[in-house]
Amino acid sequence: MSDIETGQFSIDDLENVQITIGKIVGAIEKKAQEEGVEIGPTPKPGISGLRDWDYKLLSRYQPVYTPVCDQCCYCTFGKCDLSGNKEGACGINMEAHQARETLLRVITGAAAHAGHGRHILHHLIDLYGHDKPIDVGPSNLLAPNTQAVTGIRPETLGDLEEVMDYVEEQLTQLLATIHAGQEGAAIDFESKILHGGMLDHVGMEVSDLAQVSCLGMPKSDPEAPLVEIGMGCIDSSKPVLVVIGHNVAGVTNIMDYIHEHDLEDKMELAGLCCTAIDMTRYQTDQGQLPRAKVIGTLAKELKMIRSGVPDVIVVDEQCVRADVLDEAKKLSIPVITTNEKIMYGLPNRSEDKPEDIIEDLSTFKEPGALILDFDVLGEVAPELTLKMSKIRDEIGIKALPTDEELQELSEKCVQCGACELDCPDNLPIMEAMRAGVDNDFSKFEYLHDKCIACGRCDQACPKDIPVLNMIEKASQKLIREEKGFMRSGRGQISDPEIREEGVNLVLGTTPGIIAMVGCSNYPDGTKDLYSVADEMLKRNYIVVMSGCSAMDLGMYKNEDGETLYEKYPSKFLAGNLINVGSCVSNSHITGTAIKVAAIFAQRNVSGNYEEIADYITNRIGAVGVAWGAYSQKAASIASGCNRLGIPVVVGPHGSKYRRALIGKPYKEEDWKVYDARNGSEMPIPASPEFLLTTAESIEELLPMLAKNCIRPSDNSMGRMIKLTHYMELSQKYLGHMPEDWYKFVRTETDLPLAKREELLKMLEKDHGWEIDWKRKKILSGPTMKADVSAQPTNVKRLCKGEC
Amino acid sequence: MADEFPFEISPMFEGERIRKDGMYAELAGPKSKGFELVRAADMDDVEDGKFTLIGPDISDMEEGSRHPLAMIYKIAGELVEADLESIVERRNHEFQNYIQGFMHLNQRDDVWMRVSKEAVEKGLTSFESVAKAIMMLFKNELPFIEKVEAIYITDMDEIEKEIDNAREVYKARDDRTRDLHDEDVDTFYGCTLCASFAPTNVCVVTPDRISLCGAINWFDGRAAAKVDPEGPQFAIPKGDVIDEESGEYTGVNEAAERLSSGEYDRIKLHSFFEYPHTSCGCFEVVGFYIPEVDGIGWIDRDFAGTAPNGLQFSTMAGQTGGGKQVVGFLGVGVNYFRSPKFIQSDGGWNRVVWMPKMLKDKVLNDIPEDIRDKIATEEDATDVDSLRTFLKEKDHPILERWVEEEEEAPEEEEEAETAPQAQGGFTAPQMMQMPSNMPSMPMMSGGGSGGVKVILKNAKVSIDKVIIKKQD
Repeated sequence: MSDIETGQFSIDDLENVQITIGKIVGAIEKKAQEEGVEIGPTPKPGISGLRDWDYKLLSRYQPVYTPVCDQCCYCTFGKCDLSGNKEGACGINMEAHQARETLLRVITGAAAHAGHGRHILHHLIDLYGHDKPIDVGPSNLLAPNTQAVTGIRPETLGDLEEVMDYVEEQLTQLLATIHAGQEGAAIDFESKILHGGMLDHVGMEVSDLAQVSCLGMPKSDPEAPLVEIGMGCIDSSKPVLVVIGHNVAGVTNIMDYIHEHDLEDKMELAGLCCTAIDMTRYQTDQGQLPRAKVIGTLAKELKMIRSGVPDVIVVDEQCVRADVLDEAKKLSIPVITTNEKIMYGLPNRSEDKPEDIIEDLSTFKEPGALILDFDVLGEVAPELTLKMSKIRDEIGIKALPTDEELQELSEKCVQCGACELDCPDNLPIMEAMRAGVDNDFSKFEYLHDKCIACGRCDQACPKDIPVLNMIEKASQKLIREEKGFMRSGRGQISDPEIREEGVNLVLGTTPGIIAMVGCSNYPDGTKDLYSVADEMLKRNYIVVMSGCSAMDLGMYKNEDGETLYEKYPSKFLAGNLINVGSCVSNSHITGTAIKVAAIFAQRNVSGNYEEIADYITNRIGAVGVAWGAYSQKAASIASGCNRLGIPVVVGPHGSKYRRALIGKPYKEEDWKVYDARNGSEMPIPASPEFLLTTAESIEELLPMLAKNCIRPSDNSMGRMIKLTHYMELSQKYLGHMPEDWYKFVRTETDLPLAKREELLKMLEKDHGWEIDWKRKKILSGPTMKADVSAQPTNVKRLCKGEC
Repeated sequence: MADEFPFEISPMFEGERIRKDGMYAELAGPKSKGFELVRAADMDDVEDGKFTLIGPDISDMEEGSRHPLAMIYKIAGELVEADLESIVERRNHEFQNYIQGFMHLNQRDDVWMRVSKEAVEKGLTSFESVAKAIMMLFKNELPFIEKVEAIYITDMDEIEKEIDNAREVYKARDDRTRDLHDEDVDTFYGCTLCASFAPTNVCVVTPDRISLCGAINWFDGRAAAKVDPEGPQFAIPKGDVIDEESGEYTGVNEAAERLSSGEYDRIKLHSFFEYPHTSCGCFEVVGFYIPEVDGIGWIDRDFAGTAPNGLQFSTMAGQTGGGKQVVGFLGVGVNYFRSPKFIQSDGGWNRVVWMPKMLKDKVLNDIPEDIRDKIATEEDATDVDSLRTFLKEKDHPILERWVEEEEEAPEEEEEAETAPQAQGGFTAPQMMQMPSNMPSMPMMSGGGSGGVKVILKNAKVSIDKVIIKKQD
């Protein structure tokens, strides 16, 4: 018996063999089998499984490191100075260490999502059982990332467990390589980074599939409702319960309790960060109205707490400030922690009676409680809120300074500059203090919109001036007006929508897809997001939002008082604005790209990651923007996009990631692919030009977006439109024609229509191209030819005759 | 750039809406009159670049006023022909919208335009600049236009005089489109525009078959092939007729073989079951065979419910596409329902048994009258049994095909009852009657409790885990 091994083997004779079929696959699977659709070459790839693909990407998009710190402090051999090509005590060099740092960041982010996914999956299986079907809307490919990576085609919640097993196992393997004395080559750390990013999208997908299927969230719904957002939409005269974090599991019990006890009109339920988004998705798939309000992103956490408005704060996991308990304590706000990832040293009251917990917290016996039992939580949080509201009214909580105090505090300032030095955006705080001495607080209002409320100024001030409170106090009027609308998270993009949009993508009417994702770490608040989205939407790009960006976009209004969510429709169509949902919904953006490959090219998805990524790299004009990327999760999400060949631009603060993946447009040999029809080499345009880079301003960003939607397979109509926008945006925002525009021209039909003649003249004069003026045709000049039937691929084995 | 015009020209202004309070003047539209018309003319009859205005210009109009507007373009060139007029004319809509501050809605004698106040302030004070821009764009996009001149009319009497003439032209064109059939032309057009996403798809566009995406008809193909014969749309000489009924031509077969690199060598343009046309991804409707009633159902993208076979659009659409020839599922554009050759090889409309109500209403007038009421919708049939009952009640022509089957039916039922004992061998599955040329179809309904006979030939058995246990 020990002869039996895993792998492939032949059986010569079958006699008296009984085959037991444990599970009948549906009609589709049977057909798929009959048609010979099989699992691709890399189901559940290990760390080396897609290394060849990574190397292909990394040879074109080479890592650039800009270390902020030259030392490695990972072990007690060190710390080691790695500057000037020195090796550390363990032999690691600067490049490898920098890549290792990024890897750590990426797998931390991936683990945050995967941990979230495992938690909510567990929870929902407990409630709904293993056999609860996955139901995410009208799609064939329910779990594109999962299927492409693992080869598993999950149909039920139970099927997702095996997927999580795989993700967790791989994350452990990756984490192991961070240890001293493991990987030594930067390039292989880079490949591991891409692996971690890919895993992240699987973990995110599992989280969202599970919650969309069970919690009545919109299922690929273009008509997902508009939700109130902003500090100004909170009615502070009512008892206010504020929820912070990313994992909505326990919060749904609170919402049910409020609903069942008719408390909806008697109190305010509002959220910060992605829990807020998911609260507004809960039980809205049958057209019900959202049962919660959204305050905003991480950047509003401290401001909201310091306002003293919350009567109770409930936190779950991720992106929750570590000082929530300390800050809340000062203002007599009890804090309930509900997830093992954040417990703040509070006593575990999960087994206790709700009334006992309420009694202890309302008498300030304890500043808060850990409650892991969601039924207990469901009752305690709202009831405590009602009770605390009265108690806190009676005590009379003074949260912010008075007007007189504002002036006095301003006088206290000695203009030492410590706050500005510590401010991540170097905001002009001293100037506001100077004006404040003369009772002019308008400059604090200016700070309010730019400030990300990190609170470092408070920490830095040698005079203990509560700078953040001053900003908040001076901006009360602005804050009351901080009301907007966000479209609730719609979930996946459905197959029928992708098919409908296909014509636009093909004919170039949709020049590309811009995914604005990530956190709220930007110097110019919501306005940048608004300006970028509006410009691209006007140009018929599809703009996809998620997470914190989705929230912040809803905070800015145009002169008609409209947010972009009100201005633009929300289908997956040219010129539409979509919110897929919370942080874990980011997986639907990559999922959509995978679906395009499955739908239009009938590519096998299962375990066929490389081929899918190759298709996306060469054909799908999508660019990610993480304008305010701050977290480790943002790094892992971007890396997951990168492995699929989707480029990502991070905002000014993104340079702190200390790493970029940048191509060299001038190196011709880097920009060649195979034509899958015959395996011959073909030149391609240098786009996307990078996989990960930084833009310093939106003026730099906008033309970059248009340019990097260009793909080798563009037909002439598509290229013409993309080039038109690239050139127009460059002129509009940078004031000049892009230097490299002509490199994207293969034929006269690629030229922007309105300027064709003029551009032909320039090609002739400046670049020496030959033009047949009678027929207005380009005779010679372009380095590549337009052949819409060419099939660009980076993977030799996908060429005809290769396998 | 393009400094000769007092306005910006860009596709980004296409979605621009000019509302009442931002409007300087309204032109044509429901409360006035107007039209747009492109005519092919002889080279000598066209003075290139000439613009004539009959009636007041924009600068003569009062703010907030409404005026009639007719736009006539005369085009000439070696390759220009009357069949191309409508293609050029349709571009007037697109291109006028490229102009910042100019809005164009609808087409032909329904046109409705507005000029914005802002545009007039910036210098859009004459129709001449608009017409010149449009003529420039026409020539850039469609270089077969060697000469073009424009006549704009804003004088009501003058328009009244011309409008009937224009309507006659539209009618003649429509008649020509309607009366033009596959047999009347010797050239079809291939379109590979979507190869950028669906690398192996080839669409054959004929007078009786619009592209699957609905965006390219035979006239579009013809125009594009003239602009650039080596471009994504190209002529396919029809060749010899192999079978007119199913739409099989030697030229199409040769093109299919060449363009699919040998993957397919036959395509029957109007067939569902035999060598059907390939499907891309953006088809608007997918047809599916319902073996239980031997009929064909159609389901469109906008229908979110399930067809009588229990499947949704997305599930069935997922069966085909990607440039593959899949028997039993066929993606089409809505306009194909309007083709007189609509799946004529398989019985045409007589073979259609089910479609969603919205879709049926959309094409109602194109369904032959005698069968209109006999095609079920989701309101009549939600599963195969109710569909069968409905078809019987309505005496659907498909019933004629059932005779054979019904005789066999009792036997099948008996078999089904005794099926479950698997004694050594396996009993045959309970299969539906299928046309002999069909490859195996997916089993749509569960229900059958029979065993399955499995024959392993060149099979790969993959086993996830083998557990070896000591036998008791």
